[in-house]
Amino acid sequence: MWRYIVRRLLQTIPVILGATLLIYALVFLQPGDPIVALFGEKPVSDAVRAELEAQYNLDQPFLIQWLLFLKGALVGDFGVSYSGQPVSELIGRTLPVTFQLAFMAMIIEAILGVIAGFYAGMRRGKIFDSTMLVVSLTVIAIPIFVLGFGLQLIFGVQLQWVPPTVGSDTSFTNLILPAVVLGLVSFAYVLRLTRTSVIENLTADHVRTARAHGVSDSLVNRRHVLRNSLIPVVTFLGADLGTLMAGAVVTEGIFNINGIGNLAYQAILRGENPTVVSVVTVMVLIYVVASLLVDLLYAALDPRIRYA
Amino acid sequence: MHNHTPRQGQERFVAPAVSSELPALHVDTSHPPESQWKQAWKALRRNWLFWFSASLLVIILFVVFFPNVLTSVDPRSADLSHSLGKPQAGHIFGFDRQGYDVFSRTIHGARASVIIGLLTTIIVTIIGLFTGALAGFFGGWLDTIVSRGADIFFAIPLLLAAIVGLSALNNVWPDRGYWGGVFAVVIALAVFGWPQITRIARGAVLEIKHLEFVDAARSLGASKWRNLFTHIIPNALPPVIVTATVSLGVYIVAEATLSFLGIGLPPSVVSWGNDIAAAQPQVRSGDNLHVLFFPAGALAITVLSFMLLGDAVRDALDPKARK
Amino acid sequence: MVNQTPLLEIENLHINFSVDKRQVHAVQGLNLTVYEGQTVAIVGESGSGKSTTAHAIIDLLPGTGHVAQGSIKYQGKDLVQLQQKKRRSYRGSHIGLVPQDPLSNLNPLYKVGAQIKEVLEVNDVVKGRDADQRVIELLEEAGLPDAQRRAKQYPHEFSGGMRQRALIAAGLAARPQLLIADEPTSALDVTVQKQILDHLDVLTDELGVAVLLITHDLGLAAERADHLVVMYKGEVVESGPALEILQDPQHQYSKRLINAAPSLQSERLASRERIAARESAQEHVSEDGQSLTDDIMQIQNLTKVFKLPGKGFTKTDLVAAQNVNFDLTRGTTTALVGESGSGKSTVARMVLGLDAPTEGQVYFEGVDISTIKGHGRQMKFRRRIQPVFQNPYASLDPMFSIFDAIEEPLVVHKTGSRSEREQRVRQLLDQVSLPHSAMNRYPNELSGGQRQRVAIARALALKPDVLVLDEAVSALDVLVQAQILELLNELQVELGLSYLFITHDLAVVRQIADNVLVMRHGKVVEQASADNIFTAPAVEYTQDLLAAIPGRDIQLAG
Repeated sequence: MWRYIVRRLLQTIPVILGATLLIYALVFLQPGDPIVALFGEKPVSDAVRAELEAQYNLDQPFLIQWLLFLKGALVGDFGVSYSGQPVSELIGRTLPVTFQLAFMAMIIEAILGVIAGFYAGMRRGKIFDSTMLVVSLTVIAIPIFVLGFGLQLIFGVQLQWVPPTVGSDTSFTNLILPAVVLGLVSFAYVLRLTRTSVIENLTADHVRTARAHGVSDSLVNRRHVLRNSLIPVVTFLGADLGTLMAGAVVTEGIFNINGIGNLAYQAILRGENPTVVSVVTVMVLIYVVASLLVDLLYAALDPRIRYA
Repeated sequence: MHNHTPRQGQERFVAPAVSSELPALHVDTSHPPESQWKQAWKALRRNWLFWFSASLLVIILFVVFFPNVLTSVDPRSADLSHSLGKPQAGHIFGFDRQGYDVFSRTIHGARASVIIGLLTTIIVTIIGLFTGALAGFFGGWLDTIVSRGADIFFAIPLLLAAIVGLSALNNVWPDRGYWGGVFAVVIALAVFGWPQITRIARGAVLEIKHLEFVDAARSLGASKWRNLFTHIIPNALPPVIVTATVSLGVYIVAEATLSFLGIGLPPSVVSWGNDIAAAQPQVRSGDNLHVLFFPAGALAITVLSFMLLGDAVRDALDPKARK
Repeated sequence: MVNQTPLLEIENLHINFSVDKRQVHAVQGLNLTVYEGQTVAIVGESGSGKSTTAHAIIDLLPGTGHVAQGSIKYQGKDLVQLQQKKRRSYRGSHIGLVPQDPLSNLNPLYKVGAQIKEVLEVNDVVKGRDADQRVIELLEEAGLPDAQRRAKQYPHEFSGGMRQRALIAAGLAARPQLLIADEPTSALDVTVQKQILDHLDVLTDELGVAVLLITHDLGLAAERADHLVVMYKGEVVESGPALEILQDPQHQYSKRLINAAPSLQSERLASRERIAARESAQEHVSEDGQSLTDDIMQIQNLTKVFKLPGKGFTKTDLVAAQNVNFDLTRGTTTALVGESGSGKSTVARMVLGLDAPTEGQVYFEGVDISTIKGHGRQMKFRRRIQPVFQNPYASLDPMFSIFDAIEEPLVVHKTGSRSEREQRVRQLLDQVSLPHSAMNRYPNELSGGQRQRVAIARALALKPDVLVLDEAVSALDVLVQAQILELLNELQVELGLSYLFITHDLAVVRQIADNVLVMRHGKVVEQASADNIFTAPAVEYTQDLLAAIPGRDIQLAG
C-alpha cells in the first residue's frame, strides 16, 4: 500500500515538472516584450524597466525563471501579476468558487448519468434506451456554449427560475444551472459508460449464478450488476475533474462567475503571463491529485486491485 | 454403483443410428472467405445507423468540397441594410447582424470545421499509434519516456492547453489567413490530443504481444520489426480506429468552442464556430434565433454523424458488442 | 423400493434460440428422469446441448433461448408452465447449481462469506448473525479448511479448488433436493478435481441430494453416475445404466466416444511403428550429412527465476523451474507433465529459446543454443525447432489467411519462389489432411481442430526436427483430440520428428509419449519411460496423478 502510494507520488513529480515547463515555455518563450504589453505604447524609462524585469525575473535565463517560479510555487507563492496583485490571492479568491461549481457538476453528472445509464442498459434496445442514446449523443454534439445559452435563455430569462448570471453571489441555488451546464457533456459520457458496463455485467457468469441461487432480480441488479458497473465510472469521474475545471472557462464566461476559469481566460487574453502559468499549474496539480485519489478509491472499490 | 432393473424412465435407450459423422475436416465453401475486416464490413452494412451517418457524411463532405454548387452568394459580402433579416426567398436562412447571408455562411463554414476535425484526427492517430505501439512493444525505458510524456500532455486539460497554445501562436504568427488559421487550431489540438490514442494503442499492443501467434512468429526467427508491423499493429488497429472516429467529433466541437472564445479561427475565416460566437447578442436577448440556429444545427449534425459512425464502427469491430 | 415418483422428469424437451428471426434448435426431444438421491450424468462434447438443458431447468437460458416444447416436471409439477416468479422460488431452495468455471462465478467484489450468506438470506434459511455462523459451517462442510478466516476473504484470494468448494457450499446452502453440477471441475487440476468430486459424492450422499452432472468426460461420468445420458448435437443418442453403456455401447457415437476417451485407453498409439520412426529419424539426419547423435536435444540444469515485487521495496524470487535435466531422443516423444504452476510451460519457452534461462543450458545437437550468435546461425537453429501452442483461437493471427499463416515461415526464411511456396503450402495442407479449399479462409472460419491442424502445418513448413507441443490438444473436444493425436503420431513416423509434449493431462500422455517427466513446483519429481510411469509409478505424487484420472478403474469390455 505505502509502497504503491510512494511510487505513484514519485511518478507524479516528472509529470508536474514537465507540464509546468511546457506551459512556461508556451507562455514565456515568445517574441514580444511583456513590459511593453504592460505599459501599452507609453515609453518606459530604463530604470523602471530594469526594476520590473528584476521583479518578474525577466532578466534571468528562461530555465532559471521557471525554477524560481517552481521554488515560489512550492510554498504557495505564485508571485505578483503584472497588474500588481499577488497571484496566490487571485487564485485563493477564485478557486473555491470553481471547486464548488465543479463539485456540484460532478455530483449531478454522476447521479443522473449512473441512474439513466443503468436503466438504459437494463432496457437495452427499448424506447428509454434509444432515447437516452440520442440525448447523450446530442449533448456531446452540440457545443456546450450553445447549450449553456439555451438553458440560460429558458430558465434564466424566460422562466426566471434562476438568475441568468451569477456575478459575485455564488450561492448554491445560483450555481445550480451553471453546474448542470458544466456537467452536461460528462453526464453523456457517464451515461454511455454505465450503460455499456451494465450490459456487460448482465451476462456475467457470477450474475447468472446468483440468480440460480434464488436471488431476486431486483437484488441481483442492485448488488451484482450495478455495483460492479460502477468501477469504470469512478475511474472516469476522477479524470473528469480536470476536464470540468477547464470547461469552467466557458461556463463561467456564460454565467459571469468569478471563478478560476474566468481568471485564466482573462489572463490569457491580457497577456498576464504570471497568472496564466500559475493557474495552469494549479489545474495540473488538481488533476494529478484527483487521479491519485481515484486510483486509491479504485482499489477500495475493487478488492482485486493490489498495490503492486 | 447399483445394478438392478432400471426404474421407470431410465430404461436403456439407443437412438437410431443417424448422422453422427466424425467432426468433419470439410471446409464450408458455400460463401467467399471472410477476413476480420470483411466480417466487420458485413456487420457494418447491416446496421442502419451506419448508412444513416454515412449518407449524412457524404452530403457534408460534398458541401465541404463544392460549396459553390449549393449557393452562389458570397459568404463575405455583407449588407448592413439586411441586418438580422428573416428568412426569405433567395436567402432561406435569413441574414445575420452584419447582413451576411446565413445560408451561404453555413454552407461555406463546413470546410473549416470538417477539415480541422479530419486533420487533427489523422495527425493524432499517427502520432498516438506509433508512440503507443513502440512503448507497448519495447517496454523498458522507451515505455517510461513515452508514458510519462503522454502523462505530461494529458495532465493539462485539452481546452485550456489549446487556449494557451493558440494565444502563443497568435503572438508568433499573427496574420495567418484562412489556411494558417486552420492549421494553427489543428496544431494546438493535436499537440495536446495525441496521448489519448497513445494510451489506447499501448494498451492494445500490451495485450496482443503476449498472444500465442506472436510467440509462434518469434519462434520462426521473424524480426521484432516484422512482428510489430505485420502481426501486432494490424491487430491493435480496431480500438484505435474506434477512438479516433469518436474523437473526430470532439475536435470539431473543440474548434467551435475555441472560436467562440475568440481565440480559435481568425474572424475573417467563415466558420460555424465564428458565426455561433457572433450570434451571442441574439442569444442573450432571445430574438432572431435563426442566426444561431443554422450554424449550431449544422455543427451538431456533423458531429452527430461522426459520433454515430464511431458507434457503428465499434459495434462492427468488436465481436463482443456484436452479439 | 423407495419413492417411485421421479424428482425430475423431463419429457420431449425442445429448446430453440432465435437468430436473425430464424429458430436454431439447440436441444431436440430430450427425455431425462432423475430419482431422489440419484446421480445422473449428461455427457457430450461442446455444442451437444448439455449445458443448455441444465440452464433450461432453472429458467436461466442465455439470450434468445427458450423452451419451445415439452415439459420439465419437478416433483410432478411442470416448471415450464409456471409463472416466472413462481419458478424463481425453486431456484436455490429446491434446485441448486454448481457452475462450471470457479474463476468467473463468484462476484469479485464481495467477500466469499457474504456471497454464501446472501443465498441463506434470500431463501429464508437463516438471517443475521446466525447466518454468519451457518456460512462457516457450510464452508467447513464443503471441505474448506480454516473456514472462519476464509469466509472473510475475497474470491481472488482463493485458489481455483477453494473457489469451487465455496461454490459447492453456496449451491447446497439452502439444502436443495436436486443439485445441477455443470462441469464442476473441468477448470481444475486433476488431483484437485478428484478431491472435490469425492467430497461432493460423500456430501450429496449424506444429505440425500440428487445430482445432475453435466460433463464432457465419459470416464468421469461413468465413475460418478448411476444413469447416463449421452448427447450429440442436441439429441440423446443413448441413455441407460452408466456401466452398461460404458461396457456395451450400442450407438455408433457412444462407441466412438469411448474409443477416443484418453482416460479409458491403455496403449500408446501406433506403438508398432515406433521403431520405424526412430530409424526414419536417423536417416533424416544422415541426409543432412551431420554427425549422428542419438539425443537431438539435451537439457541440463535448466533453471528460471522470476523477480516479483515483494514486501516493501524488496523483490522476491519465484523459482519457476529448478534444475531440470532431460534428453530428447531423436524420433521419440518426451512428455512434460504437471499441474498448473508446475513450471512445464516455462521449460518449454526456454527450450524454444523464447526466454533465456537463469541458469543451465539447452543443447541442440550438441550446441548450446545461448551461444548461437549472428542472424544466419540463429535462423538456422530456429527452423529446426518449432512450437504448437494450446489455444487454437490465439495461436493463429486472426488477420492472416490460412495460406498466409502457413506461408509465413517460408517468407521469413526466404525460401523458394512464390509458386514454389504455394506448392509447399498445398503439400503441408495434405500432410495435415486439410482440403486445399481451406487456403484462402481465415482462422475464424475454421473449427478448433482445423485451426490446430493449420498450426501444425505451419510448424512443419520449415521441415523442423523438433516440435514443442505446449498443451496442443488440451482445448479440444475428445474426438478431435484423438484425431490430432493420431495425426501427430503419423507425422512422427513419416517425418522422423521428435516431440516435446507439454501437458497437464496424464491420460493423454499414455497415447503419445515414450518418456515422461513429472513436474511439480518447478522440479522434476519423477522421470521414467511411459510404460514404467503407468505400471510402476515410483513417487507418491505420480501415483496421485494416476489415481486422479477419472474412469481409470472401470473395466471395459473387449
